[in-house]
Amino acid sequence: MERRIALKGMAAAIGAIVSLPAWASGWNDSSLGNVKFSGVGQAEILKVAVEAIIPKTDTPGAGELGVATFVQRMVTDCYDKKTQDVFAKGIAGLDAQSNKSFGKAFTEASKTQQTQLLQELEKSSDSETKSFFGLLKNLTIQGYMSSEYVMTNLTHFEFIPGRYHGCVPVAKG
Amino acid sequence: MVVFLSRKARNIYKQILQSNQRLEKSIRNYKMANFNIDSEKARTYDAIVIGSGISGGWSAKELTERGLKTLVLERGRDVKHIVDYPTTNMQPWEFDHRERLPKEVTDANPIVSRCYNFKESSQHFFVKDNEHPYVQEKPFDWIRGYQVGGKSLLWARQTQRWSQFDFEGPARDKFAVEWPIGYNDIAPWYSHVEKFAGITGNKDGIDTLPDGEFLRPHDLNCVEKYFKESVAKQYKDRHIIIGRAAHITDPKQIHLDQGRAQCQSRTICERGCPFGGYFSSNASTIPWAMKTGNMTLRPHSVVHSVIYDDKKQKVTGVRVIDANTKEMMEFYANIIFVNAAALNTNLILMNSISSRFPNGLGNDSGVLGKYVAFHNYRASISGEYEGFLDSTTDGRRPNSGYIPRFRNVYKQETDFLRGYAAGFGADRMTYSDRSDIGESLKASLLNKKYGNWSVGSHMMGETIPKESSYVALDKDLKDAYGIPQLKINIGYDDNDEKMIKDYIEQVTEMFTNAGFKNIRSHDGHRNPGNDIHEMGGVRMGKDPKTSILNKWNQMHAAKNVFVTDGASMTSTSTQNPSLTYMAFSARSVDYAVKQLKAKNL
Repeated sequence: MERRIALKGMAAAIGAIVSLPAWASGWNDSSLGNVKFSGVGQAEILKVAVEAIIPKTDTPGAGELGVATFVQRMVTDCYDKKTQDVFAKGIAGLDAQSNKSFGKAFTEASKTQQTQLLQELEKSSDSETKSFFGLLKNLTIQGYMSSEYVMTNLTHFEFIPGRYHGCVPVAKG
Repeated sequence: MVVFLSRKARNIYKQILQSNQRLEKSIRNYKMANFNIDSEKARTYDAIVIGSGISGGWSAKELTERGLKTLVLERGRDVKHIVDYPTTNMQPWEFDHRERLPKEVTDANPIVSRCYNFKESSQHFFVKDNEHPYVQEKPFDWIRGYQVGGKSLLWARQTQRWSQFDFEGPARDKFAVEWPIGYNDIAPWYSHVEKFAGITGNKDGIDTLPDGEFLRPHDLNCVEKYFKESVAKQYKDRHIIIGRAAHITDPKQIHLDQGRAQCQSRTICERGCPFGGYFSSNASTIPWAMKTGNMTLRPHSVVHSVIYDDKKQKVTGVRVIDANTKEMMEFYANIIFVNAAALNTNLILMNSISSRFPNGLGNDSGVLGKYVAFHNYRASISGEYEGFLDSTTDGRRPNSGYIPRFRNVYKQETDFLRGYAAGFGADRMTYSDRSDIGESLKASLLNKKYGNWSVGSHMMGETIPKESSYVALDKDLKDAYGIPQLKINIGYDDNDEKMIKDYIEQVTEMFTNAGFKNIRSHDGHRNPGNDIHEMGGVRMGKDPKTSILNKWNQMHAAKNVFVTDGASMTSTSTQNPSLTYMAFSARSVDYAVKQLKAKNL
């Protein structure tokens, strides 16, 4: 609850009674909005795909952190129809390719098989496949790196740094 | 029951009735007249300020401090400090699109979407394209903020003083008209506003960029300092300094008295700052003016025109359309300050028509709306530096390095007029290996490596005010309030193109001499207006035949009207103009109130 403390500190710093507006307290309940999935099962495929790109280790993977919802929202809200179609086709293609290579749905394939399939997509020379996978991977990385879990626990984002030092030694590590 | 009356009785009764009706009518008239007088009284103030942005806020503060009952009219909604900053305490992950705007928004708003600061966290402070349409005779990105505080919530907060070389420019280089004031006239007022606003900066002792009343400067980082030294060795008249900016690095009592605290280096200023760490009307001048008890703030008040009473032969007030009810109403005052932001100030004055001023208020000279100019921000340069690899920066800085103008300062030395200042900044780059997927990708994303330092610069060029660069009222098109739409005809010229070329050559040379690598220049071809430094149209000058305002920002032809925003500027210099508008506002109010007390207005 670093932010709540900071807000209290802020009120103190200003030396006045600052009544905090309603939005200042429900900060963990960021609305995810109504994200429309374009096909049955696509949400599940996407979730498995982002988890394969950034999997659970000793810390949560992208699937667990809700990155699939972020990716879907970005594709739905911020890209044109053509890109959205390429994306939907790409997600459907994961299942088709999995069935062809492993004889089962993408979500049923082993983790190794999922990874292998995605690695092949990344190497593909087909431009549509390339742009689908590029978008999926970039948005997955963005969603993961800007998730509350990663920014709070792993990259230690400072909301209120309160300082700027122009020249400090690079930390050894 | 029926009562039969004699003819005589009926006549008497009729007379009584008529007499009663007359009496009632005269009472009604009497009441009405008194109501109008009372209502007129209630709508009469000592002063009216049109606009609550960076200059209007200052006019309001200075007027109310001098005891004048002041009405501040703002066309947009109220934005109260802290409580009306809905995104100010949102964490990065709380934004659905991580600051990117949905396609629906950018498609509907191509103009404002080109503004660097229009994003998910700040979009509510910008005017959307369809809210206040205008006519582009040439492409012009008109970026606006219609709310209490105006664009002072959104500005880049750079506060460099103008120098004698800027005020002497038009006279020396024979363009526009001579400024009616010099640096020494405005210098004490710079000090006045700097102390109150809170300006961080370093006393650099450079004559092209006079020192001011500074709070502790921000650090230049290792590479910026290195570049400063490298440039100083090569060129005796080129300097790299830390920017002067409206951030409280070291609060004084006057800032605490405003309820403001030290800047916390969050660098998300455009959301509004809960600390009041940077200067905005909302955090500073407006609450200060309110505290005097002399200010009435009226949001949702779209000014239609300034009223010139042909019988009284003077300006008596302002016509306002209530944005909610669309009702037209009038407010009256002895002094009117027009601070609607440069182009809207032009629009209001051009729409203020009377028998005396058929071509717009104060426009005897015919120059109203003409000689509009801006800042040329088109070119930028980037590069890398391979030194200081054992060093980096820590924290964040709401400021950057600055290169004061060095071209054509002491004499004309190039084939273009005037010159440019430039921003300069360096930052340590980090990267991670993004090849592959799976556990190795995850590990490398969380294990960032340091790269070279990135370095970058952007130009801020002076543009020349010309008669052909104008704004005017469209004859047919109206806005939602029935007010004519503004027609804008402002473009780059050959002088700007030459200046872009010179900036790229000179800064590339300075980068090369410093050993920077991978140097790339870029001309973004951004539209005029995107710099958000549009100025002029209601210029100051010595001669009423060629200017609208005198040396006190006072209308030559309507002495109780003052214009102290960007519209009043005779030329543009290279420096960010807001600090100068603040100083002009304070200076002009001081003069106006003295004149009022001497009964000269």
